[in-house]
Amino acid sequence: MKKTFVKFAAVAALGTALGTAVFAQDYPGKEIQGIIQWGAGGSTDTVMRTVTPHAEEVLGGKVVMKNMTGGVGAIATKFVYAQNPDGYTLLMGAENPLLYKVMGLGDIDYSEFTPINILARGVPILVANNDAPFDTFDEMVEYIQAHPNEVKFGSTGPGGLPSVVTSMIASKTELPVTQVPYDGDGPALTALQGGAVDVMPAVLGAAIEAIRGGRIKAITLIDNKPTEVLPDLPALGETHPEYADYFPWGPFFGVFVKNGTPDDVVAKLTEAYAEGAKSEDFVKLMADRGYIVESLSGQEAQDFLTKWQSLTTWLLHDAGETKASPEEFGIPKP
Amino acid sequence: MHGNHIRSAGELVFNAALFVISLVLLWASYGISGFSSLSSPGALPMAVAFVMAVSSGLILLDCWRKAERDRTRFLRDILPPAVIVMMLFITGYALLLVPLGFLPVSLIFLVLSILYLRRGGVVFAVSVSLLALILVYIVFRLVFTVLMPAGIVPEAEFLAAIGQIFGGGQ
Amino acid sequence: MQALEYFLIPWLDLKLLFLVAAGTFAGVYVGAIPGLSVTMAVSILIGFTFTWDVYPALCLMVGIFMGGVYGGSRTAILLNIPGAPSAIATAMDGYPLAQKGLAGEAIGLSTVMSFVGGLIGIVVLAIAAPTVSEFALVFQPRDYMLLAVLGILLVGSLSGESLVKGIFAGSVGLLIGTVGLDPLTAEERFTFGFTGLWGGISFIAVMIGMFGVSEALMQLHHVDKAAVKQKISRIVPNWSSIRRYLPLSLQTSSIGVLIGALPGTGGDIAALMAYDHAKRVTRDPEVPFGQGAKEGLVAPETANNAAVGGAFIPMLTLGIPGDAVTAIMIGALYIHGLNPGPMLMIEQPQMFWFITGALVLANIFMLIFGLTGIRIFTKIVEMPRAVLIPLILLLSIVGAYAVNNSISDVYWMLGFGVLGYFMKSYGYQLGPVILGVILSRLLDENWRRAIISEQDSIAGLFKGMLTSPLSLVLLAAVVLIFVSQTPLWRGVRGKLGLESKP
Repeated sequence: MKKTFVKFAAVAALGTALGTAVFAQDYPGKEIQGIIQWGAGGSTDTVMRTVTPHAEEVLGGKVVMKNMTGGVGAIATKFVYAQNPDGYTLLMGAENPLLYKVMGLGDIDYSEFTPINILARGVPILVANNDAPFDTFDEMVEYIQAHPNEVKFGSTGPGGLPSVVTSMIASKTELPVTQVPYDGDGPALTALQGGAVDVMPAVLGAAIEAIRGGRIKAITLIDNKPTEVLPDLPALGETHPEYADYFPWGPFFGVFVKNGTPDDVVAKLTEAYAEGAKSEDFVKLMADRGYIVESLSGQEAQDFLTKWQSLTTWLLHDAGETKASPEEFGIPKP
Repeated sequence: MHGNHIRSAGELVFNAALFVISLVLLWASYGISGFSSLSSPGALPMAVAFVMAVSSGLILLDCWRKAERDRTRFLRDILPPAVIVMMLFITGYALLLVPLGFLPVSLIFLVLSILYLRRGGVVFAVSVSLLALILVYIVFRLVFTVLMPAGIVPEAEFLAAIGQIFGGGQ
Repeated sequence: MQALEYFLIPWLDLKLLFLVAAGTFAGVYVGAIPGLSVTMAVSILIGFTFTWDVYPALCLMVGIFMGGVYGGSRTAILLNIPGAPSAIATAMDGYPLAQKGLAGEAIGLSTVMSFVGGLIGIVVLAIAAPTVSEFALVFQPRDYMLLAVLGILLVGSLSGESLVKGIFAGSVGLLIGTVGLDPLTAEERFTFGFTGLWGGISFIAVMIGMFGVSEALMQLHHVDKAAVKQKISRIVPNWSSIRRYLPLSLQTSSIGVLIGALPGTGGDIAALMAYDHAKRVTRDPEVPFGQGAKEGLVAPETANNAAVGGAFIPMLTLGIPGDAVTAIMIGALYIHGLNPGPMLMIEQPQMFWFITGALVLANIFMLIFGLTGIRIFTKIVEMPRAVLIPLILLLSIVGAYAVNNSISDVYWMLGFGVLGYFMKSYGYQLGPVILGVILSRLLDENWRRAIISEQDSIAGLFKGMLTSPLSLVLLAAVVLIFVSQTPLWRGVRGKLGLESKP
C-alpha cells in the first residue's frame, strides 16, 4: 500500500516537472482536447474531424476530439468556459452560442471566447417536397397565403436556421405557416422526402445530395447570388431585392478558446487552423457540400461574429421568437 | 418472493417516498408549460407524471393494507452492512474523483473494496487492482482516448513526455 | 455479374479480409464492455483512418459494427449487464441461463442466432433495399408515435408479477427521458434550475446504473457463496434446435430489419419488440420466459443483428442514416470524398456491393470469434465475487463517464444504481424503466409533431390515422395488443396485481 503511494508520488512529481518544463518550452506540451458541440456524424463534427488532422501537423501535437452534446451546444460551451484558459481545451462549435442570451440559455456566448478560426459558412436554401403545388418563391408565397396554416415548414426549434430564414421571409411578407420542429436538419429533411413537412429551409450542404438525386426540389437560394453547385437556382436577393440587406447570412463553424489564453498560444493555434483550412481535403469537402470557406481569424472573425449576432438576434426578436430583448445585453441594432 | 399479502421491511417507507417524489414531479411538470397546448413541451411529462402519481398511489395503498409483515429485517435482508459499506465506498469514489483524479481514486477504491469483501490478502488485492487498472487505462484512455479527470496525477504530460522520448528519434 | 465482382472485393484482398476480421474481433469486445459503444469506436476510427483509402476504412467500421452489436450479449448473459442497449432484452433470459450453469450454451445459441439474424438482414439489404427505404419514408410522425405506443405496451410483458409496478417503472423511464432542454423548443424540463441538467440524463448512464451497479449491489448479499460452476460441454447448438427456432428467428429478423431501417429507431427497440413478439407467439416454452427461455434469447439476438443490415438500407439508398452508427459512417464517406445520397447507388454502385460483401464477411467472422473463446469468457462468472463486484463497479463508473465525458453522468449512474437496488428489493422490475427511457423521445417528439401538423386538433389526428393504411395497421396492432393484455372480463383488478386476498 505504502509502496504504491510512494510510486505514485514519484510518478506525479516526475510528471509535474516534465509538464511545466514542456509548457515553458513549447506549446502543445500535452494532448489538446477539442470539444465538439454537436453529435458524431453531424456537419460540425464532419468539418472539425476533416480540418483538425491538418492543423495537428502544423501544431506538432495531438488534438483529441470529443462530442459533448446537449442544450443546443450550451453544455459544451459551458464546459470549455469552466476550463483553464491555457489553450488545452478548444471549443469546436457552430453559430448557436450567439443566440443563447436572447433565447434564455444562460449568459455565456462567444464574447467569452477568442475565435481561432471561423472556418466556413453555409448557404441556406429553401427546398420543398416534390409533390408541393409550387415551384418558385412567388408561387409558394401565393399558395401559403391562399391556404393559411396548411403548409408545414420543417424547423429545428427557435433560433435554428429554419426559424431564422422563416422569420426573414415573414419580415417582408405575410407567411402563415405551421412550423413542425425536428431535432436537427437531417431528420427534418428525411421528413420532407416522406411528405411529413412540405417546405424546409435548410443549409445547402445538407440538402444538396437529395436535390441532385431528385428526391426533393429546390425553390430558391437564400443569398444574393446563385451558387456554383446549383447554377440554375435563382437567388432570393436577386429576385426579391427587398431581402438583399440580410445576406450573406448563414450558419458557420468555428474553433474557439476561452478569453485569457496566452497570446502566443492563440497565435500558434490560429496559424495551425489557417493552414488546416487551406488543405485540399477540407477545401474539397466544403466545395462538395456547398459551404463557403471563410477562414477568418483575429479582428475579422470578431467583426463577423458581432455582425452575425446583431442581425440574427434582432431579426428573431422582431419575429417574437426570443425570450429576452437583444437590447438587454447591449447587442446593437443592425 | 414478494407475496401479495405480506410486505417486506422498509417497503412501506420506500413506496411512500416514491409517491411523494411522484407528486413533486407532477407539480414540476405542471411548471414546464401548464395546460397551454397539447403540443407543449410539458404535455407528455405531465401525462407521465400523472400516471406515476396514480400508480405509486395505488402501490402505496395496497402496501399499506397488507397487515402482515414478512420476517425480513431491514438491516439484515434489505440493506446488509456489506451493501451499506460498498455504497459508502462508491459515494466516496464519486466525491473524490475530480479532486484526486481517476488513477489514484480507482486504485484506492479497488484495493479497499477487495480487502473489505475478502477480509485480508493485501498483496493479492493490490496486484489484482493494479492489473485491472492498467487494463482499464489502456483500453479507455489510450485506445478510446477517454480523458478521465486527471486530478493530482498529470498523466497527460507524462504521456506526452513518453511520446517525445519515442518520437524524438524521427 | 459486376455486382458479384464488387461483392467479392473484401473477400479476395488479404488486407481487407484481415481488417474485417480485426474490426469484428475488436467489435465483440467493444460491444461487451458497458460504456464503450460502437458509435464511439466508429467515430474514433474516422480520425484513425483519415489518411487511408475508403475501402480499408469501411472494412474496419463494418466489422466493428457487426461485432459490437453481437458483443453486447456477452456481458448481458454472463453478468446481467447488457454491454449495449440492444442487448437489454438478451439479459432477461440469458442471465437466468448463466445462473443455471448454462452460460456456454446460451452464448453458443446467441452467437448462431445472431449470425442467422445478421444474414437475413444482409439478404434483405441486398435484394430489397430500394423498396424497404421507400417504405421507411412513408412513416409519418403519427406512425412513429403509434410505434412508440406499441413499444410502451411491452411494459405488460416486462412487468413480472405486478403490472401496476411495471406501469410505474415504465413511467419513471419515460420521465427520465424528458429531463433537460427540450430538443424541439429548448425549454427546460425538470432541471430545477441546474444548468448541469440541461443536457438531460444519459440513457447509457441509467442503463449501466440500473443493471450494472444495482446487480453488483444485489450480489453483495451472497458475496461468500461460491460462484455457479459452468457446464461447458455443449457450446455449438445442434442442428435440430437451430431448426426448431428457425420460424421464430425469421419473424424476429423481419422485425429487426424493418425497425433498423426506420430512421430514428434502431437495434435496441427492435430487440425489445422481438422479445415481446416471441413471448406472444411461443405457445409453450420449455422454460417460462424470464427464467431462461431459449426463445427469449433467440428473438432479441436475431433482431438486433438483423437491424444492422436494416440500418444500411436508407444509408446506402438515400444517404439517410438508419441509426447513430450509420450516421457517423455517412460522415466518414464525406471525409473520404464520397457523397452519400440518392445518387451514390447510381454513380458508385460498387460501394453498395462492397459494403454488402464486407457485412457478410463480418457476419462470418462474428460466428467464428463468437464460438471460440467461450470457455475463457465463462470463467468470468466463476471469478470470486469479492473481486468481480469491485471490478463491475469500476467498469460501470468508467463506462458512464466515457459516454459523454461527463462527471454528472457518473453521479446519475450511481444514483440510479442505488434506486434500482431498492426497486429490485421491493419487487419492481427494471426492464420497464429502460424501455421507457428508450422510447421517451420517440413518443414525445412524434406526438408533438403529429399534433402540431394537425394544428392541435385531436380529431384531425384521428382522421389522419384512419385514412392512412399504414397508420391504420399500426393502430389496429396497438388496440389488439392492448386488449389481449387486458382480459376485460377476467377482472382487471387481478391483472393489476392489486388483489389483496388470494
